[in-house]
Amino acid sequence: MTDHIWEAVSWCLGVVVLVVFVLLMRQRTITAGVRRRNATLEESLKSRDEELQHLVEMRLPVIADALSQPSQLPGLRDERLAGTAFAQSLHGVVELFTRAVDKAQARADVSAKAALKASMRALQGLANEQQLSISQMQDRHDNPDVLRDLLEIDHSNSQFGRRAQAIAVLCGSWPGRQRVSSPLTDVVRGAKSRIRDYRRVQVHALVDVAVISRAVEPVVLAIAELLDNAARHSQPNTNVEVSLQPVHNGAVIVIDDAGVGMDGLEVQRAAALLSGERAVDVSRLGDPPQFGFAVIGLLAARYGFSVSVDTRSPYGGVRAVLFLPTALLTHVDAEEPGNRQAVPQEPHESGLESGLHTIPSLPTRKTRSARRTEPAVGQIPHQQAAPQQAAPYQQGVPQQPAPQQAAPAPADQAPAALTHPSAIEEASRTYGSTAGGLPKRRRRDPSVSRPADDWPTAAPEPETGSHRVRSAEETANRMGAFARGTRSGRAGNEDAAPQTEEGNRQA
Amino acid sequence: MTPARRERGLVRPYVVTDGRAYPTRNTFDLVTLVMAHPDRPLAGLSPEKRRVMELCLGGALSVAEVAGYLQLPVSVTKVLLGDLVDSGHITTRSPIPTAELPDIQLLQEVLDGLRARL
Repeated sequence: MTDHIWEAVSWCLGVVVLVVFVLLMRQRTITAGVRRRNATLEESLKSRDEELQHLVEMRLPVIADALSQPSQLPGLRDERLAGTAFAQSLHGVVELFTRAVDKAQARADVSAKAALKASMRALQGLANEQQLSISQMQDRHDNPDVLRDLLEIDHSNSQFGRRAQAIAVLCGSWPGRQRVSSPLTDVVRGAKSRIRDYRRVQVHALVDVAVISRAVEPVVLAIAELLDNAARHSQPNTNVEVSLQPVHNGAVIVIDDAGVGMDGLEVQRAAALLSGERAVDVSRLGDPPQFGFAVIGLLAARYGFSVSVDTRSPYGGVRAVLFLPTALLTHVDAEEPGNRQAVPQEPHESGLESGLHTIPSLPTRKTRSARRTEPAVGQIPHQQAAPQQAAPYQQGVPQQPAPQQAAPAPADQAPAALTHPSAIEEASRTYGSTAGGLPKRRRRDPSVSRPADDWPTAAPEPETGSHRVRSAEETANRMGAFARGTRSGRAGNEDAAPQTEEGNRQA
Repeated sequence: MTPARRERGLVRPYVVTDGRAYPTRNTFDLVTLVMAHPDRPLAGLSPEKRRVMELCLGGALSVAEVAGYLQLPVSVTKVLLGDLVDSGHITTRSPIPTAELPDIQLLQEVLDGLRARL
């Protein structure tokens, strides 16, 4: 009986042990799985933590520092997270942050620019006003001591104006001054006026092209910045050489300095700024702010010229080349020295136009009056005759009768002198009248001045007179006759009495 | 070379005179007459000096007139003219004094006297 009990008990025990064993085994498997899962989760959590830390410490600051352009932003740190919902959320955060940074930057930029622009415009206005009063003072005072001081003030004022103007342009303003078309030489010298070391700048070639009015001020400003860079980065005893050259598609201004030059990185940075492609951030120009190239780049892009500084100057410094396309150039008015020699013939062309042509420094009036007289009848033949008048003066005298024959048509406007028998001499004296019909003053001219004025210097007259309206022989004859008359009058010859009297009367 | 209208204020006077305020000679007056020597070469002259030569080759001009045509202050013009005189491009002449005319009444008396006599 007890055997049965023991058997049953041992069987039970065996079953229990087996069950326990099985359960243990199962438990063990389950635990291992859970532990594995736990480890995986832990690892994943850790990587997410690290990813978040990476986002905060690395990725977002890079975005905040990047100059508004995401060039190469760091990606996820753990590639295993790619494609997960977590990664997408992170991407969303980055996007949002980028947008916020851009917006904040743009807003800061706009407000900084607006504030700077407004204050610079005010300064610019003041500088211009001051320049005007300095100019007036220069006109008013004739004392060299005063002039010296005024020139110094003028110089600093010009530099001051340029700085204000450059910053204003950088902030999106216009260069701020409308000028008439000016010769390239004047444009370069205007730029020279605005830098500190202007006396070191040597302008070489004289080209007879002019810059159209729209582009004068920007080109002046750009050249001034280039000259300033050149003069600033070279020794005070060296020159800055500027040469102007006409080229097939326009004209170039070459600025060479003998300074320190630029290394590759600087050239690269300058080229990027000069291309004008990238928007300039006013708040990131460095300290002290270097805005020269940025301003030039802006102006170049806006007005269509180009500047390069990537060549090395033969003097060891930088060679800056500013290229002006034909679209920005025009030709100077036909006021060449050669033409001016021929000017005295023109009084015979017609009444109104004649007098105005003879005053070389007032060509605007000439063009204006020419425009006004265009509809007048009888002008056309004279205009056709004009090309021949470019001939040297001596040939001009025989030509005179021809225009005179054509003159009757505008005779009502023409001065009466033209119809007078001695029209040839008279016409040379007549400088026409203004559009309002008033006679024009003509300047003094030794060869045609009144004899009584001439007698103290009768001797030099024939030679200076040869350039004038009369031929040399005619002048010589006149002066000779007058001198003879005066001499005989002085000699007490009673025959000469009427002549001296005539001289006095004319005086 | 000369523009339609010179833009005043573009090229400042100190650039024109290269920073100098004192003429090399003190002989200029507003009415001093300036005459150019036509045979002097114009090469190497600044645009303003060239312009002075072009103006004065046409005949004698007073200093005031030259300044007016150049649209420069008279004092600046004097500096330029001083240089040009030094380089022999121009000569100056002081203004011609007005002729001393005999009194018209005296002349009339002489005339009357002559008529009475003849």
